[in-house]
Amino acid sequence: MTARPFRPGVLIAAFALLATACGGSTTTNPPASAGTPSVAPASAPPASAGPATVPPGGPVEIRWYCCLGGGEAPEQKTVEDKVVADFNASHPNIKLTLEVVTYDQANGQLTTEIQSGNGPDIVGPVGIGGANAFHGQWLDLAPLITKANYDLSGFPSNVVDIYKLDEGQVGIPFAIYPSALFYKKSMFEEIGLKEPPHKYGDQYQMPDGSMVDWNYDAALKVAKLLTVDKSSKDATDPAFDPKKITQWGLELQRDDLRGMGAYFGSGSLAAAGSKTVTIPDAWKAAWKYYYDAIWNAHVSLTGPQFESKDINPKDYPFFNGHTAMSENFLWSTYGVADAGDDWDLAAIPSYNGQATAAFNADTFRILKGSKHPDEAFTVLTYLLGDAAPELLKAYGGFPARTADQQAGIAALQSQFKNTVDWQVAIDGIGKADNPNFESYMPAYNESLGLVGSGGKYLTNWGNKAGLDMDKEIQALQTEMQAIWDKAP
Amino acid sequence: MAAVPIQPLIPPRAGRFRLRRPSLGKSALSRNEARWGLIFLSPWLIGFLAFTLFPMIASLVFSVTNITLAQDTPLRFVGLENVQRMLADPQTWQSLGVTFRFAAFNLPIAIVIPFVVALVLNSRYLRGVGIFRTLFFMPYVIPFVSGLLAWQGMLNLETGWVNEFLRFLGVQNPPNWLQDQALIYPSLAFIGLWGIGAGVIVNLAGLKGIPTELYDAARIDGAGWWASLRNVTLPMMSPVIFYSLILGIVDVLQYFLVPLVLYNGTGEPGGSTLFFNLVIYKQAFNFQNFSYGATLAWLLFGITLAITLVVFRTSRRWVYYAGER
Repeated sequence: MTARPFRPGVLIAAFALLATACGGSTTTNPPASAGTPSVAPASAPPASAGPATVPPGGPVEIRWYCCLGGGEAPEQKTVEDKVVADFNASHPNIKLTLEVVTYDQANGQLTTEIQSGNGPDIVGPVGIGGANAFHGQWLDLAPLITKANYDLSGFPSNVVDIYKLDEGQVGIPFAIYPSALFYKKSMFEEIGLKEPPHKYGDQYQMPDGSMVDWNYDAALKVAKLLTVDKSSKDATDPAFDPKKITQWGLELQRDDLRGMGAYFGSGSLAAAGSKTVTIPDAWKAAWKYYYDAIWNAHVSLTGPQFESKDINPKDYPFFNGHTAMSENFLWSTYGVADAGDDWDLAAIPSYNGQATAAFNADTFRILKGSKHPDEAFTVLTYLLGDAAPELLKAYGGFPARTADQQAGIAALQSQFKNTVDWQVAIDGIGKADNPNFESYMPAYNESLGLVGSGGKYLTNWGNKAGLDMDKEIQALQTEMQAIWDKAP
Repeated sequence: MAAVPIQPLIPPRAGRFRLRRPSLGKSALSRNEARWGLIFLSPWLIGFLAFTLFPMIASLVFSVTNITLAQDTPLRFVGLENVQRMLADPQTWQSLGVTFRFAAFNLPIAIVIPFVVALVLNSRYLRGVGIFRTLFFMPYVIPFVSGLLAWQGMLNLETGWVNEFLRFLGVQNPPNWLQDQALIYPSLAFIGLWGIGAGVIVNLAGLKGIPTELYDAARIDGAGWWASLRNVTLPMMSPVIFYSLILGIVDVLQYFLVPLVLYNGTGEPGGSTLFFNLVIYKQAFNFQNFSYGATLAWLLFGITLAITLVVFRTSRRWVYYAGER
């Protein structure tokens, strides 16, 4: 082997090798809505009828982009295809096309499409948080609502207000998911405990007969009695072994730190227009409560237990049938049947005398870049109107329209053998957090890395015992402020 | 045992020939040949131009603009502003540090283990070679993400089989493999070994290609196993090792999927999995800062190119091509 002078061909070969060796992938998050329980709304307003004739230039194409939330499952796609076909048959002036992109790819692809000037017209179903990932891209529907004289009075006003943002009225309610406390009756009965109250404001009778407010302190005491180790000792017993737990007492909603905080009180990390991170006191209390529930009270799963497919195979511990109480949204009914036939809904515990049921909502939105906003609005009102019953059923959504909610309850109940007190969920709509926990914050997508699903702090707190939570919360605030300071 | 020098069996220049540059202006036959060559190459060329070269040029243009999805400020030429931002961004250096630390740990393993496994599989004393070869290759055909999720389960602190086994052996507090900063790189490297099947096959093909006459000659000269390995196997395998090294460098600098799947791209535990390629992806596609993401991508490209060129340059000293002088 002898040395040769360096050749440009080597450079070119190396360049080609490197250039062709590139690849990529995307991230995954829990869907805004999931599963396929059936809900059949009773009534919907008539969609704005399109002209009966085809315009001279041919029908206007409106692209519907799915699935930043649910909607990609084959059975859902079948319904969506039918909705598109029905719409096109009744609206010769518009050609609606459906673009289904799987959830894990949907965010990245929509980003690319918008950036390349090839964005769709309508996006959905999409949750509040999913939509905030594209803050500034949504069309203010107010002028179109006025022009079409679209009636919003059929929706709860606090739900309509969720979509009133600095960008305008960016959405019209479609599917909603109030929260409730899911609990296993049999676990309460087994040790002679009273079931948690179903009505907000009712008190709870403790084992000693005393009546107490149904708040998080009471819930923790009850949860300890319901947490049991391999030797059937509960978490109040000095001989209880936290390393051998077989039944957990309480699971908080841990998809998002903001959502976890919202169960203790409505709030936001930023006041409107502000770039200063302000963590509501109720949220700090919620996070400390979560940490205490895992590491001191041992009533909630640790991070590794939560991640274990043996203990928590379906991502929500209540589904495994070994968790007594769990706060969650109504969309979790898609998997709750796995918990058995003895579950019911109860009121969310209060904090400082106030109960707050964190709230999720999905709808369809029109992108600001749509070249045909009027036609897009026609499609939107069709999806929210004529097509709503079958779409809600396919998406497992609870109708936002008040008049349809009883039918929604009937449809939900039809899926379960046990009789569920769905009124608790209805009452939860009135306890929805406002501002919503998924509200916009500066550098939204980057900030989610700290507080969102699978975020850094949520993961750490579930994994490490002995942390100083005051310091942790301060570190979170500092880190987020640094991100916000860099934001334009 | 002293090293036994091996005389090259192939005389200098024997069998060496130079490929002639195809000429488009010579004969009808050569023109026809060149045309067909281009036709057969065209699918790759079109794909390369459309999906690699053009996006690369576009990303270079992005890197000197202020393009974002929100586009809060008017689109404009910003010169080297993104480069300045990149150099001043602590995350750039942190993530490069993470990438290089992991590369220093993982690269030798990713090169040596497939080679050693191939050596074992190539042994004349091993029975059932076909079965072992299949077993080593089988994980490679399993979708990588599925394999990762399986490993995540295997390494779970509470219910993972690895820790169950350690508890069975009497270890009271087995480690949290995927959450302990001290163990994270060994754990990731361990997971990476799951996919060494392709490397084993490449190494095995290289070993099978070494003429047995060389070993016979070495044996006659008194060489034992170690001397044969050092003086026959390693030189003859050096092109394969070089190939594995180049691809290994490119792969490890682009390390991405594992931290994305296992940690949702958060960089946990303690920032130890915040790899540079992950930062590029997050900036461009999660945070929608296309111009900054493109700038970071070009930095990674530059680093990868520089390292690759250095390795190419050093290869003249240690890579032996049997057909060359």
